[in-house]
Amino acid sequence: MDKDFERVLRGLDEAREFAKTYRFEMTDEYRALIARVEALPRNRSGAHRNERWLGSRAGRRALRARTTRRAPAL
Amino acid sequence: MTHPLSAVARPLAQRCVRYVLIGVSGANLYGPAGQAVFTTEDFDLFLPLDPDNLVQAWAACEDAGLDLWSGSELLDKPRDRWLAERVVQRRAVTRVAGPDDLLVDLTLVMKGFDFETVWNAHREFVFDDVPVPTARLLHIVESKQAAGRDKDKLFLATHYDALRQLLEKPDPE
Repeated sequence: MDKDFERVLRGLDEAREFAKTYRFEMTDEYRALIARVEALPRNRSGAHRNERWLGSRAGRRALRARTTRRAPAL
Repeated sequence: MTHPLSAVARPLAQRCVRYVLIGVSGANLYGPAGQAVFTTEDFDLFLPLDPDNLVQAWAACEDAGLDLWSGSELLDKPRDRWLAERVVQRRAVTRVAGPDDLLVDLTLVMKGFDFETVWNAHREFVFDDVPVPTARLLHIVESKQAAGRDKDKLFLATHYDALRQLLEKPDPE
């Protein structure tokens, strides 16, 4: 098995184990942090999001489709 | 430059469909410009329990040439109010698939919230001149806490640090 692939699988197993035992608690500090992020100028209602977007597989593929130069047909 | 979500958002806006972008893809919009804080493969759109609105959402996706799936099968036709009433009754998800592996879930459930609460506090981000109603980051995080799935826990375990790092960087705007 490819070593990179093995490493990914191991990482996924570790993440799964971590998630089983992790207990999240919302704190006032976290709420305050979220409020600060929401208040950033770029996060105001009406803000444009036309920049490059790498956030999802679809986004990455769309970006790749726009930026990959295809070899001209012979 | 066309954002993948524009393919859905534009026809939804043209048909005045009510929805709110939620989930990790919604949370990512509050992150640094052009970057995802967290990887996700799909967009989650939260719709009200309104069959007529759902019919319009389906029609909008059809307008855009997108495929509609219910589970592992294409959504039945006719995609009318009768069908929408049953989908709403079952709180079933409609999955929308399009070019470039675009995946969008039309969901009628956001754990811990009703639609109007989220809608009343939403903000709009604009993609390619199309407004996309997006849930408050606080609501997205609280919903993930309420859902409590493994993937939600992994998100919550790292999101706080991601936000702190975000605030340490100067906002380019």
